[in-house]
Amino acid sequence: MAIAYEKIPFAGTVKSPQKENEGMITGNWRTRRPILDAEKCMECQLCWISCPDSCVNLMTETSPITFNLKYCKGCGLCAEMCPVGAISLVPELDFEE
Amino acid sequence: MIKKDLFAEPGLKQITVWGRGVYENKEARDVVVSLTEAAALEGKYVQAWENYVDLPDRIYVPVRAYGKISSNPIESKYVYENEAPDIVVLTEETLVKGVDILAGIKPNATLIINSKRAPEYLFKFIKSNTENLAKIVTIDANNLSTSVITLSGAEGATDASGIGKGIGAPLAAAIVKATGIVSFNNLLDIIVNKSAARKAYDQAIIANVHDLIKTYA
Amino acid sequence: MKTNVKRMSGCVATANAVKLANVDVICSYPIRPYTGIMSELARMVADGELDAEFVLGEGEHGQLSVVYGASAAGARAFTGSSGVGVTYAMEVYSPISGERLPLQMAIADRTLDPPGDFGSEHTDALCCRDQGWIQGWAASPQEALDMTLLYYRIGEDPRVLLPQYACQDGYFVSHILGEVDVPTQEQVNEFLPPYKNHHVLDTRDPQIIGAQMEPEMGPGTQYQRHLAVENTYKVFEEVHDEFGKIFGRQYDPWLEEYMTEDAEIVFFLQGAHAVTAKNVVKHLRNLGEKVGVVRLRTFRPFPTKQVRECLKRFKVVGVVDNSVNFGISCGSGVLLTEARAALYNNDEKVKTIGFVAGLGGSMITQNEFYQMFTILKNINKTGKVEKESYWVPFEL
Repeated sequence: MAIAYEKIPFAGTVKSPQKENEGMITGNWRTRRPILDAEKCMECQLCWISCPDSCVNLMTETSPITFNLKYCKGCGLCAEMCPVGAISLVPELDFEE
Repeated sequence: MIKKDLFAEPGLKQITVWGRGVYENKEARDVVVSLTEAAALEGKYVQAWENYVDLPDRIYVPVRAYGKISSNPIESKYVYENEAPDIVVLTEETLVKGVDILAGIKPNATLIINSKRAPEYLFKFIKSNTENLAKIVTIDANNLSTSVITLSGAEGATDASGIGKGIGAPLAAAIVKATGIVSFNNLLDIIVNKSAARKAYDQAIIANVHDLIKTYA
Repeated sequence: MKTNVKRMSGCVATANAVKLANVDVICSYPIRPYTGIMSELARMVADGELDAEFVLGEGEHGQLSVVYGASAAGARAFTGSSGVGVTYAMEVYSPISGERLPLQMAIADRTLDPPGDFGSEHTDALCCRDQGWIQGWAASPQEALDMTLLYYRIGEDPRVLLPQYACQDGYFVSHILGEVDVPTQEQVNEFLPPYKNHHVLDTRDPQIIGAQMEPEMGPGTQYQRHLAVENTYKVFEEVHDEFGKIFGRQYDPWLEEYMTEDAEIVFFLQGAHAVTAKNVVKHLRNLGEKVGVVRLRTFRPFPTKQVRECLKRFKVVGVVDNSVNFGISCGSGVLLTEARAALYNNDEKVKTIGFVAGLGGSMITQNEFYQMFTILKNINKTGKVEKESYWVPFEL
């Protein structure tokens, strides 16, 4: 039913998201999860550049690339772009969390 | 302020079908349309529609289609969503995870999932609203048919590809086996892919939630 | 005379009517929710079921301009829009009406921006109420189909020659299924003759349609159109009788009354929400309340006499407006102002209360109707009106 009028932002204006868009969490769109095989990875960062949703985190001194599973939609572009086939897509229901 | 049951509608059964954008738009619609058209053959009052806000042309977004079957003329025709579904259908298995599919279900509700995994495994992923759930049914519809991807039939226009051509047919058959909401022969009159529906009617696995909880508690 | 009953939405029903009316030119531009009509028409043209020119406009202004030219060249033309699309084409409505070109525009209501959501509000079509077009709301897919045929017949009558808005609530009528008895082509051919006009753009007999005039020709030009609108009342009644004889469905051209025989309180509204109102009234009658519903079928030309004769029989009238008309006289919506104006000359003062409800496309729930009824019942009992206009649900 109608939301109380005091709760609606003035003139429907809302602030733009800065780091992430909490209003549109897309992790549950995913049917396959990207998994990195760190042995094969040659650290080219092509996956990081090609993710359309910026869901691949740059590798650091201490960790290889990781994926932002809160927003990753499972499109598979990172797996396609990887030149050595280090990323594979595993059905999401194989993971219990 | 008002008598609570003044506008109640006994005899109304609500079906909510979840799918994923683009891949299962037509399939979700086919499930409700085939069930409601079959119920109409039996003289029931029916409604079938899709969620108006879902914007289904984005790949993988969860989308919904709804159906209503009642023995009396339906009064709550204009609601945008089914508030209390009796039957919830998932055309794609991953929807059990992270999506609140069982919101508002009525007592003795049934959940049907297109999956080849075991019902007990899938049940673990559903985190909320399971109190009223009575049965979980699984059917491997992808094995019996392929999902049809098309824009034909969107926005209520006539579907040129045929109702129940893809995985909608085996799913509808599994629903009929588990709940008996329409007669199976009437369903077969409506859908195109009759062989997949017959095989699904035999192969659907029905599990009692009460037993699942006892075994795995 | 049940010929062919199917379950379909308002969009598909309108498309079927357009096919039966053998329209010559259709111009489309996608905007939800009316786009279902064009989707179905495109399929019909592609499958060969309908022989028409299907033009893709570059915008709603382009759409109206294309059918404007088509109608002037002698073609039966059809177009449509929703929400902000209707206001985008605003410039072209007056020329089409003033130059007496009877094309039809299907409007499936949608809110204007803001909020711009897909839900239905009558504001978009009501913005054009003074342009000199025939206008009315259908409350079910069957009525949407019948309205398309009726409006072509009325609009193309040589005594009228005015364009028409066939309006329906977005989603509630355009997308929800209803039982529709689709007429046969023979019945429609008997009812709707081919389109003929006084003036047609033809290279063999050149003429200028819509030339710019001098100021002293202004009053006469507008008065001619006013006389045409006055003629429209009679034509409405004749055509509805003819429709009833051929198709077996007799509509009253102006008002639809439900359980109003001994009612003291009525709801007065137009469009799909009347269906919910009827359900609530049915339940209230079971509890012994004397209440009814009056649904206005035709908004332009406004049937002043018929509305007065009808509403003066009741003690309290709750006028439900499904549009925003900020700053309007009496502070509620268009329907309240027009109903009050119609009742002005009545000897006894009928109490009219305005409710602005169903905005943003939200459904007016049965509970909300019940609360509105409680307010009206209170007024009937005490005879005192404290507040004349309520915004539902905030001020109930």
